[in-house]
Amino acid sequence: MVRRSSPLSVTLRYAASIIILGIMIFPLLWMFRVSLLGPGGIGFERLASTAITLGNYADLFTSSGMGRYLVNSSLVAAVVVGGNILFCFMVAYTLARYRSLSNKLLFISVILVLMIPVHIVIIPMYVLMVRTGMYDTYFALILPWLVNPIGVFLVKQYIESIPPSMEEAARIDGAGEFRILFQVVMPLCKPALAVLAIQVFFTNWNAFLFPFILTSSDELRTLPVGLALLQGHQAIDWQHLMAGSSIAVLPVLILFAFLQRQVVSGITAGAVKQ
Amino acid sequence: MSCKPKTDEKVLYKMKRIALALLICLTGASSAMGVTIEWWQFWTDSDIKPVIESMVTEFEEANPDIEVELRDLTWANGHEKIVISLASGSGPDVLELGSDWIAQFADKNQLADITEYIVDDSSEFQGWGMATYRDKVYAKPWILGTRVMFANRDLLDRAGHDEDFVPINFPDLVSSTQKVDALGDDIYGWGSNAPEKHRLYKKFLPFFWSYGGKIYSDDGKYVLLAAMPGIEGLRKYKWLHEHVGYVANQRGLEDAFLDGKIGYVISGDWLLKRIKKENRDIELTSMLIPGPKFPGFSFMGGEFLAINAASENKEAAMKLIDFITAPKNQVRFCKAAQAANPSSLTAQEDEYFTSNIHFQTFIKQIKLAKHPPVDPNWVKIEAAIEEAVEEALFGSGLVAEPLRKAALKVRQLKAE
Amino acid sequence: MRLSRSTAWLLALPWLITFGAFWLFPVIYSLIVGFTDYQLLEPEWHWVGLENFKQLLSDPDFISALENTFIFVIGTIPFTTVISLAMALLLNRKFPGRGLFRSGYFVPSITSLVVISLIFTSLYQRGGYVAMLAEMIGLTTPEYGFLQDSGTALYAIMAMDVWMSVGYYMLVFLSGLKAIPDELYEAAEISGAGRIRQFFSITLPLLKPTMLFVLVINSIKSFQVFIEIFVMTKGKFDTMTAVYFIYERGLTTEFAFGYASAAAYILLIIIAIFSVAQFLLLRRKAPLW
Repeated sequence: MVRRSSPLSVTLRYAASIIILGIMIFPLLWMFRVSLLGPGGIGFERLASTAITLGNYADLFTSSGMGRYLVNSSLVAAVVVGGNILFCFMVAYTLARYRSLSNKLLFISVILVLMIPVHIVIIPMYVLMVRTGMYDTYFALILPWLVNPIGVFLVKQYIESIPPSMEEAARIDGAGEFRILFQVVMPLCKPALAVLAIQVFFTNWNAFLFPFILTSSDELRTLPVGLALLQGHQAIDWQHLMAGSSIAVLPVLILFAFLQRQVVSGITAGAVKQ
Repeated sequence: MSCKPKTDEKVLYKMKRIALALLICLTGASSAMGVTIEWWQFWTDSDIKPVIESMVTEFEEANPDIEVELRDLTWANGHEKIVISLASGSGPDVLELGSDWIAQFADKNQLADITEYIVDDSSEFQGWGMATYRDKVYAKPWILGTRVMFANRDLLDRAGHDEDFVPINFPDLVSSTQKVDALGDDIYGWGSNAPEKHRLYKKFLPFFWSYGGKIYSDDGKYVLLAAMPGIEGLRKYKWLHEHVGYVANQRGLEDAFLDGKIGYVISGDWLLKRIKKENRDIELTSMLIPGPKFPGFSFMGGEFLAINAASENKEAAMKLIDFITAPKNQVRFCKAAQAANPSSLTAQEDEYFTSNIHFQTFIKQIKLAKHPPVDPNWVKIEAAIEEAVEEALFGSGLVAEPLRKAALKVRQLKAE
Repeated sequence: MRLSRSTAWLLALPWLITFGAFWLFPVIYSLIVGFTDYQLLEPEWHWVGLENFKQLLSDPDFISALENTFIFVIGTIPFTTVISLAMALLLNRKFPGRGLFRSGYFVPSITSLVVISLIFTSLYQRGGYVAMLAEMIGLTTPEYGFLQDSGTALYAIMAMDVWMSVGYYMLVFLSGLKAIPDELYEAAEISGAGRIRQFFSITLPLLKPTMLFVLVINSIKSFQVFIEIFVMTKGKFDTMTAVYFIYERGLTTEFAFGYASAAAYILLIIIAIFSVAQFLLLRRKAPLW
C-alpha cells in the first residue's frame, strides 16, 4: 500500500521521532558517558570533557569476572528463549483454538502465576530447589522459566487475531494437526514470536531476585547479580556500574535490531484474508 | 506448608516423583575428607575480595582438615537471602551480619551462643555490646564503623577561623556554621539529612546522646526517649537544620560537601575513601562530634561474624571467625577496604591507623561512641524514632511532641 | 473444525509440567500460610482463619499502600498505553531511519530496572538534571529533591515507569498492527474515509486483542510495582505500595509471613477483578470477522 506523504508531514514525523528519541535515550547516554570516565566525580564538567577511557570495561573483565557472568547469562538466556519460542507457541495455540472449560482453567493458571508477588513465592521456591537438589545449579536458572506466562498470553492474543480460515483450509486439504501447527500457523505468528523472543530474552537477561536467591556460587553468577555486587556499601561506584550496565544492554540491543524486522515484516500483504 | 519439614517433604516427595522424574539432579559433587564450612560475606569490591580470598586460603593451609566455601551477598538484598535460607533451615555455617541484625536473629534462636568461646577475647575486641543479647554473646565484632565530623578547611579560612580552629562544643559549632553560612547564598554551614531510611537517625542520635539523652534507662526497663535531655538534643540538631542547613539525602550531602558548598558534615570513613578514589581537591579537617561542653558521642555500628545455630561444624566455624578477626588480618582488611575502625584494639595501634590523622579521629571517636539498644524489634523502633525526628524537623515545628509520640510507640515495641 | 482433545492436551503439556513442578507448590503454600500466624524463623504456627484478612482490611498502613498502588496503576496505564500506541503508529510507516528510532525507543525497556532506578535517583536529586530542567522552564521544584517530597515522589517514580515501559508496548502494538490486513485500509481509502476515521473504525477495533494484552499485562505489572520503590525511596514519602508493604512485613522489618501472604492474596484478588473487568470490557463486541 502506498500513501503519499507531503513534505510537511515528513518533516513533522522526523521532528517528532527525534524529540522522542532524545527523551528516551538521554539517561542511557549519560550511563554510557559515565562508563567512559576515569576515576573521579561525575559532575557536568567532567561529562562534557572529551577525556575517554576504556579502563572501567577492562577492570570488569580482569578483576570482577564479567566474562564468566556474560557466558552464564548468554547460556541461560539462549536455552530459555529457545524453549519459550516452542513451548509458549504450543500452549498459546491450544489456548486460542481449543475452547473448553479445562482450557479456561489452564489459562487462569497461566495468569495466576503472574499475579502473585514474587516475595511470597520465593521461600517455597527456595525450599523446593534445595530439596530437589536443584539449588545452585543451572537447572534453577532455567527450568522454571521455560514457559513464560506473559509469552503464552502474548502469542495467544496474536493467534486469536488471525482468522482461522487458513487452518481450516489446510485441514480440508488433509494436513495433520502438527503440520498445520508448525507449517501454517507458526510462520503466521512470526511477529508475535519475535516480540516473545525479545521480551523473554530481556526479562531473563535482567532477572535478579531469583538467580540471586536460588544460586550462590561464583561459577553460576549471572550478569544482574554481578552488577548488584558492584554496588558498594555506602557509595556507588558509578563508573564501573555504568560500564557493566552498558555491557548488559548491548547484546539485547543487537538482538533487538536483528529481530525488529521480523516483528514488522512477518506477514506479506494479503496473506491474511477473510 | 509451614516451615515444618515433614509436611514439606511429603508434598515435595510426591511432586518430585510426578514432575521431576525427568530431571537429572546434579548435586554439588565431591565429598571432602574433612569438614566443609560455608561463609556468606558482603565484601565484593575488587580491592577487597582478593584479600578475603587470600585470608581464606591461608586459613585452609593452616587447617588442612577444613575447607571453606566463600559466598558473596549483595548489600541491597543480602539480608533477604539470609532470612530465606535460615527460614528454610539451610543457611551457611558462618554469616557476616550487620550489628542491627544480630538481635533479630538471636531472638529467633538462629545464631549459636558463642559466649564460652570468646571469654579470652573479651578485652582484645571492642563492640561486644552490640553482639550481646539477653546476656549471651552471639557474634564476634569484625570491622566497626562510626561517624565523625568533617569540615571544609577552605570555607573555615574564609569565615575567618585560624588554621587550627576546631569547634569542640556545640556553641562553637553554632557560631562557626553561622559564619560559614554567611559566606554566600550558595554556601551552607551544615549538611542536614533529609528523611532517608536507616540514615537520618544515625545523624540525630549523636546529638541526642551528647546532651544526655537515653533511649532506654540503664537497666533497660523504661523508655526515656522523650526525657528532657533528649528533647534538648533534638532542639540543637533542629537549630542547625533550620538556620544553617543544606538538606539532602546522605549522598547529596556528600556531593555538595565535596563541591565546596557545605562547611560541616557528619560522615563515615567511606567519605575519605571516596575523596581518594575520585581524586578530589578538597582540604578537610576531621574532628570529634561536639557536645554541650566538650566532644560528645557518636554513633557506632559494624560488621560481625556469627555462626548459624544449625551448623554442624561450629568448632571449625569458630576457628575461621577467630582467624579472620585476628588483629593482623583486620589490619590487612582495613588497608584493602580503607576502613578506619577495626574491632581489635591491637589492630587499632597499627601504624596504618596511627600515621593517618583522619583515622586517628575515627579511632578516638569510636571510644566515644554508642550503639542503639540490642533489641529484636530495633528496625521498627528505629522507624518510630526516625518518624519523630522527621516530624520535628519538617513538620509543625514542635520538638517534644513527636518524641513523646515515638516514646509511646517504642514502649509497645520494646522487647520484654 | 477444531483440534482433537488429545492434541490439545499434548500442546498444553509444557505449561502443565512447569506449573505442576515449580509453581503449584509455592502458590498453594502461600495461600495456606495466609490463614496462619506463621512467622519466619519461628518453629510454631497456628491456624487463625480469616484473622489476617480482617486485620489487613483495617490496617491503615495496608490501606494507604493500596491507595498508593491504585494511584500508580491508574496514573501510569493510560499514559503508557496512549504513548506507546502513538509511537507504534509513528514508526509503523516506512521511512528511512525507522529501525534506528525503534531501537532507540526500546532501549529503556531492556535496561535493568535497578540500574534505571539508580540513574533516576541521581537525576531527581536536589540540584540534579531534572530539577535544573524544570527550573529552566520556570517550574518550582521541591526543595530537597523530587524523591524527598511527599507531593512529588510517587509521581516522579510513575513518570520514570512510563518512560521505561513505553518501548516494550510500542513493540507489541507494532506486531499487532501487522496483523491488520492492508486491504481494509485500501477499501477505506477508496470509500473516502480519512486517516482519523480509519484509525477509529479499522485500527482500533482490530487491535483489540493486542490492546487487551497490553492493558492486562501492564496492570498486573503495575499493581506489583516494587523494585523502583525499593531502590529509590524505600516506601518513604507516600510511596509505600502493596508489594513493598508485603516485602517489609514478611521479609525484612517483620517476619510476619502469614500476614504478608494474606496481603498478597488480597492484592491478587484485586488484580484479578481488575483484569476480568478489562477482559469483559474489551470482549463485549465480537471481532470484525
